[in-house]
Amino acid sequence: MKNLFFLIIIFFSFQIIAQQQINGIVTDSKGNPIFGANVYLDGTYDGSSTDEKGVFSFQSSEKGIQTLVISFISFEEKRITGNISTFKDIKIKLKEDVNTLDAVIINAGTFEAGDNAKVTALKPLDVVTTASALGDFVGALQTLPGTATVAEDGRLFVRGGAAEETQIFIDGMRVFTPFTPTANNIPTRGRFSPFLFKGISFSTGGYSAEYGQALSSVLSLSTIDEPIQEKTDVALMTVGVGVGNTQKWDKGSFSINTSYINLAPYLEVFPDRNTWNKPIQAASGEMVYRHKLKEDGLIKLYGAFSYTDFNLIQQDINFENGFRFGLQNRNLYFNGSYNGFLKNNWTLSSGFSISNDNNHINLGDDLVKNAESAAHIKMKLKKRFSNRFKLFFGAEYFLTDFNEEFISTTNGSSSLRFQNSISGVFTEADIFFSKKLATKLGVRMEHSELLNQTTVSPRASIAYKSGDNSQFSIAYGQFYQNPLTNYVKFDNGLKAENATHWIANYQYVKNKQILRIEAYYKDYNNLIKFDTDQATIYSNYNNNGFGSAKGVDLFWRDNKNIKNIDYWISYSFLDTERDFRNYPTAATPNFASKHNFSLVTKHWVEKWKSQLGFSYSFASGRSYTDPNQAGFLNQQTKSYNSISFNWAYLISQQKILYFSINNVLGTKNVFGYNYANQPNMNGVFERQAIVPNADQFFFVGFFWTISDDKKSNQLDSL
Amino acid sequence: MKKLFLCAIMLFSLGVSAQSQYEKGMEKAFSFWKEGKITEASNLFERIANAEKKNWIPAYYVAYVNIISSFGIKDEAALQAKLDKAKLHLDKADELSSNNPEIMIMQALRNTAFIAFDGQKYGMSLSMKNSEIFAKAIELAPNNPRVILQKAEWDMGSAQFFGKPIEPYCKDIKRALELAEKEDQKENFEPSWGKSRAEQVLKQSCSK
Repeated sequence: MKNLFFLIIIFFSFQIIAQQQINGIVTDSKGNPIFGANVYLDGTYDGSSTDEKGVFSFQSSEKGIQTLVISFISFEEKRITGNISTFKDIKIKLKEDVNTLDAVIINAGTFEAGDNAKVTALKPLDVVTTASALGDFVGALQTLPGTATVAEDGRLFVRGGAAEETQIFIDGMRVFTPFTPTANNIPTRGRFSPFLFKGISFSTGGYSAEYGQALSSVLSLSTIDEPIQEKTDVALMTVGVGVGNTQKWDKGSFSINTSYINLAPYLEVFPDRNTWNKPIQAASGEMVYRHKLKEDGLIKLYGAFSYTDFNLIQQDINFENGFRFGLQNRNLYFNGSYNGFLKNNWTLSSGFSISNDNNHINLGDDLVKNAESAAHIKMKLKKRFSNRFKLFFGAEYFLTDFNEEFISTTNGSSSLRFQNSISGVFTEADIFFSKKLATKLGVRMEHSELLNQTTVSPRASIAYKSGDNSQFSIAYGQFYQNPLTNYVKFDNGLKAENATHWIANYQYVKNKQILRIEAYYKDYNNLIKFDTDQATIYSNYNNNGFGSAKGVDLFWRDNKNIKNIDYWISYSFLDTERDFRNYPTAATPNFASKHNFSLVTKHWVEKWKSQLGFSYSFASGRSYTDPNQAGFLNQQTKSYNSISFNWAYLISQQKILYFSINNVLGTKNVFGYNYANQPNMNGVFERQAIVPNADQFFFVGFFWTISDDKKSNQLDSL
Repeated sequence: MKKLFLCAIMLFSLGVSAQSQYEKGMEKAFSFWKEGKITEASNLFERIANAEKKNWIPAYYVAYVNIISSFGIKDEAALQAKLDKAKLHLDKADELSSNNPEIMIMQALRNTAFIAFDGQKYGMSLSMKNSEIFAKAIELAPNNPRVILQKAEWDMGSAQFFGKPIEPYCKDIKRALELAEKEDQKENFEPSWGKSRAEQVLKQSCSK
């Protein structure tokens, strides 16, 4: 017993003797002491926090090889392994974590919205509460700088580019026919409902090497990974009805969203300038199935179907009784993606998309039937070497099959068909030199089978954080895009069109305020030209077109200075000329206006349980050709003005009444002029103004969500 | 025999000293917290979590300290950094003890911290998440005072917003208070807060 007692004594005293002193100092990379860093031996209780001078000191009875861990919030954790006796008077420098909100962002050219964005120019709700947008993604994006108001078209015209120069992606996969087809002067809408998406990245230039076949802009949407709850949504609108449902289970979920739109009742009450034989009727549905795999893998399947049908007579100066236009369109789109984490910080993303688009078009007495089937397959591997160095590379393949039949009552019939495949490889590296300086370098190579052409497009951007709230960035890139189907279908000896972007960006972000100034220069080459009025099978085509665009985009958003009001202002200055298509000389195209301005405000009125939205857009005049005068695109229309207003009233937590009116003041806007093909008796070409089909648009909807928690509502889908 | 006995004693004493080390550490951390030394408290809880690889409780407290102290932060980067840290430890705790209502409501509290910072940006998505968390937590632990309290406070907020009566939630909070008072002394520093918060809410919102 005595012995035992001794042993214990010895054991304890041995422990005391064996205590090691561990001490040192922790600083940042500039040598400033870090106060409050956590320093400890991994897996033990032994440790301490640093004091004001960055000094730490503690005792440990551990022996041999140990790991000393030093961690502090917003810094990269450091681990030092060595013999415990060497942990004396050590000087530790911690590197700043570049993965924090206040680190520099490589953002020249890009607007982000969604939960993952570090600086959100647009918040998820904005897409749907912007007064002029009517619940359309694209409509909300048109309030951002860099876009032009082309109100009769509805698509995205970015920085002097035509609408076709913008490509849209869902979960990284190309959407081949993103817009619903419409008649002349009726703006189109995006096919997808904002309901199923969680994030948007809208790039007005200088985008990643991951994206090709877009000369001007890329809009990338990501679907929700995991819906929050099961629910049913019902929408009753003046223009139709909508039903949606979400189901969830352990490993996955399923969402479906369907709608039926019929404009007949609306047109009965508010007739427009057309004679409708068959008012617009559209049925559409979208669904997303998500399945979670082990190790955070995720499979998503997205499918969309839509059917549109209408027939109308539009006034036309060249047709005494108007021009009849009818269209039946059927569109199917399917997209699947897999995302998974592999070993050693590798991530694999792969996916495919297929689309089938069928049109049946009545042009006066002629009939055009066409069908486009397209597919996209892509695979991307990403490796995170550290927070400071990430690399990805991938390969993709596009296949398009187009056929068209033209049945004319006067000129006989013709048909044509072509196939095109494009293969591409890309790689890009993200490098952070520090929290303040970062760069992105990428290159993309594409080969088009139809054009028998290989292109190489380098992309680069660099960003520097100049202060706590401000940063500068610049970007450069080469972009190639195959000529439009409309031209390639008649001539396959053409080459890809090319654009070079130079962008300089300054951004200031502070406390719910964002200021963004961006200047750019774009140089277009190898644009398609043809020698007839319209692109026909008899025209001669070449790649001799060229052009340029330069300008400044301003964006200011403030959610702080005026109580309960969130607003943003966009202004774009654009100076562009191009010589392309049927242009006899270089001129400012008719879709470009020099000045574009928008103001969007949102005002929450607590007392009324209402959100009031207001938006104003302005665009300076657009060019048109007056054949009574000398020259090409020699005249300018008056400027465009429109004020829109919306009101969302929360009847109860799950019921919303929504009201909106576009162009409140009923401003008579003119987009251009159509001139008669032949002069009248006095030798003057008569003209007809191209105006909207209706000056104003009213919308009333009732949205009801049924879910277990009785809380969520459709405010985010309006 | 003697050797065996000695070994047993040593093992036993080691066990005891490890146990007391945990207790000593946790108590120290709580006293840091009480003194307002948030960083020291968080650091110590973190060290304990790192040593006690199978115990979810210290990780839970790392999250708790960081979430509570994030309310009122004006700088978004600082807020995000703190709440990222909280998330890291909540995930750790969740891995060690899955479907634990205490951890779930801490996740909800983290979401609330984001919503409190910028309701417009985070309100829509996170408030739906919270509703789901509370529904699940109350199903798992219908008599847990912290779950009842947090859920009632949450529901009370939206009822007030929509101008609906809050009395039913006051009842819940009273019940939470009764349950908290009756709650047995928790072992191993398992969460046992809630009493003073319930009293405070009752006084503030339900005494009219």
